Amino acid sequence: MAQRDSQESHYLSTFAAFEQNGPSASPDWLKALRKQAIANFERDGFPTARRGNELWKYTDVRSLASHAFTLSKGNGHEAIDFAPYDLPCPRVHQLVFVDGHYAADLSTEPPSQAEHQAETIGHRSEGLIVGRLSEAIQERLPLVEQYLSQQAGAGAFAALNTAFVEDGALVYIPDGVAVHEPIYLLFITTGHASVVTHPRVLIIAGADSKATVIQGYESLTADAEPYFTNAVTEIVTRPGAVLRHYKLQREARNAYHVAATHATVGRDSMFASVSLDLGGGLVRNDISITLAEVGASVKLDGLYLGDGKRHIDNHTFVDHAVPGTSSDEVYKGILTDASHGVFVGRVLVRHDAQHTVAHQVNKNLVLSDDAEVDSQPMLEIFADDVQCTHGAAIGRLDPNAVFYLNSRGLDTREAQELLVHGFVSEILSAIVDDAVRQYTDDAVLTKLG
Amino acid sequence: MLEITDLHAEVAGVEILKGINLRVDAGEVHAIMGPNGSGKSTLANVIAGNPSYRVTAGTMEFEGEDLATMAPEERARRGVFLSFQHPVEIPGLRMDHFIRAGYNAVMKSRDEDQLDPLKFDRLIRAKAKVVEMDATLTKRAVNEGFSGGEKKRNEILQMAVLEPKLRILDEIDSGLDVDALRSVSASVNELMGPDKATLLVTHYERLLTYIVPNQIHILMDGRIVASGGKELAREIEAKGYDWLAEQQSA
Repeated sequence: MAQRDSQESHYLSTFAAFEQNGPSASPDWLKALRKQAIANFERDGFPTARRGNELWKYTDVRSLASHAFTLSKGNGHEAIDFAPYDLPCPRVHQLVFVDGHYAADLSTEPPSQAEHQAETIGHRSEGLIVGRLSEAIQERLPLVEQYLSQQAGAGAFAALNTAFVEDGALVYIPDGVAVHEPIYLLFITTGHASVVTHPRVLIIAGADSKATVIQGYESLTADAEPYFTNAVTEIVTRPGAVLRHYKLQREARNAYHVAATHATVGRDSMFASVSLDLGGGLVRNDISITLAEVGASVKLDGLYLGDGKRHIDNHTFVDHAVPGTSSDEVYKGILTDASHGVFVGRVLVRHDAQHTVAHQVNKNLVLSDDAEVDSQPMLEIFADDVQCTHGAAIGRLDPNAVFYLNSRGLDTREAQELLVHGFVSEILSAIVDDAVRQYTDDAVLTKLG
Repeated sequence: MLEITDLHAEVAGVEILKGINLRVDAGEVHAIMGPNGSGKSTLANVIAGNPSYRVTAGTMEFEGEDLATMAPEERARRGVFLSFQHPVEIPGLRMDHFIRAGYNAVMKSRDEDQLDPLKFDRLIRAKAKVVEMDATLTKRAVNEGFSGGEKKRNEILQMAVLEPKLRILDEIDSGLDVDALRSVSASVNELMGPDKATLLVTHYERLLTYIVPNQIHILMDGRIVASGGKELAREIEAKGYDWLAEQQSA
């Protein structure tokens, strides 16, 4: 216990200092929220494997917990060559954070009202917000108090994020507004020191709105000092909204990346998520979707590429809470060297949730003897009039397919490359925005070499 | 062009080919017939270099060079082509991307010009016309969701693009209706030439009325038990294979 206490006490004392010297102008509700969160963290502690926690049985966070990561002071950042992170489209709403601190020089100014008019359907273009969470808090925007931490509750990591919540992004798309360019939220860690960041993102998609948000997690150097990204994203889509959310994770190989994404999907609204894990040392993603109203649908796609000793754990949860909702989930992994992939996908169809359509599949390509995969699809169905399927596959490249390509003149290396690209293309094609897809295709194909 | 001498091969430790002798010259069409499990498909796959099969004895020469030691892609680059009995479905890999990669690998090995996507698109459209295949299929994933007939036609399209010297057609007639069989056979004949050779593997005499062989070989239990002309096929059609087996054991 002494070991555990010291691991948590580091964050408790960091919090005490943060509370005193940190964001002074915080409203009372936020101060209370933080206090409650740190108390929850102190109570729960890190979910170490020996505590018998089912949700963490495949992922051992002891090495993460044993590091004394510190908050970055944010005294400005070095010059950053932005070219590798630039989206190939003319204009995006872009917020960039470096070591957890807003980087004004890399972010775009909010477009003028006149520009907005041209981009919107209908007339209700006013009030689009793509801005800093800290500013929204300072300006006492009711939205923030209304939505922040409404979904991200349970778990030590989410609690830790909430305890240290200070900055991040607020995206608010007003009713009826379609934002055509992607909204780009980028979190860069320099990797010069063992820092912890707690990126927080809140996205509210108004009724019949339409938008694409891409969240990037990058490291300036592949050989960074160990660091810890502890991200929480909360999403609400109102009736009829279409929201596409793409996450590209390319952290350094020494990095710990823990990210929770919660979304509540409204009536006849569509939420599409594509999660690409190309980096990180120890990675844990929790995606939790509540299909809260009739006609709500979610499309969940994920791709994880493991090499070296990477450990990539994806936990997804889809809650079909009401009748007439649908989910379609495809997660794929390619594991080589001594990497370890984990997929646990839970789909809950509640008692009243008749006419639910739920499909889930997890496929893994294991390219070396030392790589390992744990795949656990879980369908829990309490309604009787439903259409649900699930499946999992773990295998090597099909030798018949390799021979087929060989027999047309391709050597085995070329054949494997084409087959691997074919395997990932289903996930990449789930990204419908051309510019984003071009960017993510490049990222994945570069990674696959 | 192809000279096989006392060829033995096994799969998973079980001997399937037990001493095959076969010679196919340029300009010739040979047909291999035989009952299920006689080793016809094995012979086709062994010539093409399928690594699931192991050659245990004998020799295979293609244009005077030892085939058995060549990787399958090397055989393809030199002009050996196998039309698969069961063409493989490859989700996510577009047919035209796949066969362009193959075409360019073959061209590169011969120090000939490779084609960019635009030029290749013109080539594959022209070839699709020759084999009477819907060119839009080439924009889809390899064989995914193709009907049995479309898969076979797709094999012939690949053959038309690669222009191999030795064409091994494994059960090209299975799953085809009469019209499709007539059309696919016409393509195979049209793509034939004096510098090329064809090895047909089939169950049915029907195919041989469309693609007429110079010689027919009957394969039973891993050996060629009879060779002859068209009359041999007619005899098989009338009497089955059993009389040959009896003759063999007698």
